[in-house]
Amino acid sequence: MKFAKLAGIWIGLLAFTTIFFINPAQAELKVVTTIPDLAAITQEIGGNKVKVQSIAKGYQDPHFLEAKPSYMVQLNQADLLIYVGLQLEIGWLPLLIQGARNPALNLGGKGNLDASRAIQVLEVPTGEVDRSMGDIHPEGNPHYLLDPRNGIIVGQEILDRLKLLSPKDSAYFEANFKNFRDKLTAQIADWEKRMAPFKGTQVVSYHKLFEYLMNWLGFSAAGYIEEKPGIPPTAKHLAFITELIKEKKIKIILNGNYTDPKIAQLVADKSGAKLVILPAAVGGEEDIDIYPKLFERIISKLEVEFRQLQSFNVRP
Amino acid sequence: MSMMKWVGVLSIFSLICFLNTSFAQQPPEEKTKSLEEEFQKALEQAPSAPGPTPQQPGTQAGSPALGIGGSTATGLSRAFNPAISINGLFLGSYTSREPGEEAEVRPGEEITTGVHIQEVEAQFSAFVDPYLRADVILALPKGEGVEVEEGYISTLNIPSVILRIGKLHDPFGKHNLLHTHQFPFIDPPLINERIFGEEGLTEIGIDVSYLLKLPWFSEVRLDLLNGDNEVLFNSPKGSDLAYLAHFKNLWDLSDATTLELGESYVVGKNEFEDISQAAGVDLTLKWRPPQRALYRAFIWQTEYLFAKKDPADQTFDKVGGLYTLVQYQFARRWWIQGRYDLLGIPEAEGEGKTYRVSSLLAFVPTEFSAFRVQYNYLKPEDEEGIHQVLAQVNFTIGSHPAHQY
Repeated sequence: MKFAKLAGIWIGLLAFTTIFFINPAQAELKVVTTIPDLAAITQEIGGNKVKVQSIAKGYQDPHFLEAKPSYMVQLNQADLLIYVGLQLEIGWLPLLIQGARNPALNLGGKGNLDASRAIQVLEVPTGEVDRSMGDIHPEGNPHYLLDPRNGIIVGQEILDRLKLLSPKDSAYFEANFKNFRDKLTAQIADWEKRMAPFKGTQVVSYHKLFEYLMNWLGFSAAGYIEEKPGIPPTAKHLAFITELIKEKKIKIILNGNYTDPKIAQLVADKSGAKLVILPAAVGGEEDIDIYPKLFERIISKLEVEFRQLQSFNVRP
Repeated sequence: MSMMKWVGVLSIFSLICFLNTSFAQQPPEEKTKSLEEEFQKALEQAPSAPGPTPQQPGTQAGSPALGIGGSTATGLSRAFNPAISINGLFLGSYTSREPGEEAEVRPGEEITTGVHIQEVEAQFSAFVDPYLRADVILALPKGEGVEVEEGYISTLNIPSVILRIGKLHDPFGKHNLLHTHQFPFIDPPLINERIFGEEGLTEIGIDVSYLLKLPWFSEVRLDLLNGDNEVLFNSPKGSDLAYLAHFKNLWDLSDATTLELGESYVVGKNEFEDISQAAGVDLTLKWRPPQRALYRAFIWQTEYLFAKKDPADQTFDKVGGLYTLVQYQFARRWWIQGRYDLLGIPEAEGEGKTYRVSSLLAFVPTEFSAFRVQYNYLKPEDEEGIHQVLAQVNFTIGSHPAHQY
């Protein structure tokens, strides 16, 4: 019976600590997002009526997060989960949702928002796909938040969901969204103007990360350092891409901040093109704490590079 | 002769690894040849490139991830099919012990020299309806005969609780939860094999898992099981239940490091209709720096298990043992690991202590395949030590698996 007594004490202690740590009901909505861009947009719309946390940090590659149990704890206490979708988070988010034991976050629940629903998705594969082609996203390229126009579309989705979850704050959310949208729209016009002279530029990028950005700015990718998405390139392919860069006189190689730049740098050295590392998310570089700042940084960086090329009389 | 056989196995294995990594070596065009050679050289020197996260071998693919949308099938006609993934394990093994020396096979000594199918496993997962999810795992151990390794439904809508009903790997410690292809080493720890047998503790029953409202991850699991385990329980009546409790806590020490502490206890009736019980404690430290998550990781895991049977029988009266292992990822696709096993603290009557030292090297090209080579030195008390070498090929096809932490 000694065991029964011990078990009793143990369960009693558990119950006590549980009660002790339960947070008192809070007025604000608790939102958890998978990537920091979604958190930043939610924060702008939700203002002081929401408490937002992002699972991935700006310096982390969201493809490859681990399903840490501590994220389950975050989700267990959340009112709303916002994720990128298009299978970006497939390696870890399903486990987190299951482990969170929070019915509101289940698919179809009020607290489950797939931000990709209204996005015009690029690169949806047609025909058969299989893994011999590398790490293919069968639902299309998930990096759509790197086009600021998609930020507005996602903002609208988040607005609708926040209104649904907290109808009494609808007017407040509406006003915040309008402010976010109008400011960003004006900035988009400015960025487009600054980039207009460089429309048609061909670049090489490491991974298929900047497709939406290039689509927006009118750039195109002549090739990728990765031969197949997610699979490290072979020497043969690197030699091929280096020749291609020389042949097409490509001046810029793009790499996201969370991808190791060593291989891209190697290709840059051999081909004479310039490696430009761009932040791929809010928090990806210092001082990028809100969504518009991400693009201000990207555009400024590109502008500097292009101007330099121009001063050498080279058309980028 | 057995040595010759082993050399053959090893050569085939090396050949596979070599072919797999060196597909870049096809004859290139003249023009790019020198450039290619330069890159080849540079690649060999530079730390490996980014790409898919190789899972540490200990946590290879878990159950197929149900797309957040429920199914990963794309066509309309396939929309409601379960997510399916198939895992295969091929094994080449060598042992210095000549066959037929021992009548009874003790833990760690079942390894024979030859090439085998270690296991083929098919996993099916789907949401049943808005309330339930189902997981079925069919295994063909050694490639022969289908058995239901796991088959259970889980609830989706109970706040803070998952209720699972069916047959599953019972939450006793860390190792017992793993499928063969998820083992951190190719073979199981001695103590797990000793007290639960080769299959581990996988009983039919009901599992309630409750996430406590604490600032860190804290979970209690209580199970009501049909005590069928052949080594520990096996009550002849077939109607006696076993009861299990597991308490798991995990703390984030930093962005990169977590510490997990688990305690387990199970009690039930044995073949004498008397009491069998087992208890365990496990401690795991994991480190994976978020900025370099693809390239570096370190895991240190230790587990101590103890079991007691009343009255003492030919299997054991009481027996305890531990293992401690480290796994270190030193490059994007490479892991090196070490393990120490000690069986016999306390010793089972007439068995003495057995220890085993293991080391393992893993090459993990993508999250869907792994090639691993392991060496064991197994030393039963008062007997000559046994050398064992194992080489394993591990692959997963089908639905994208989610990876357990």
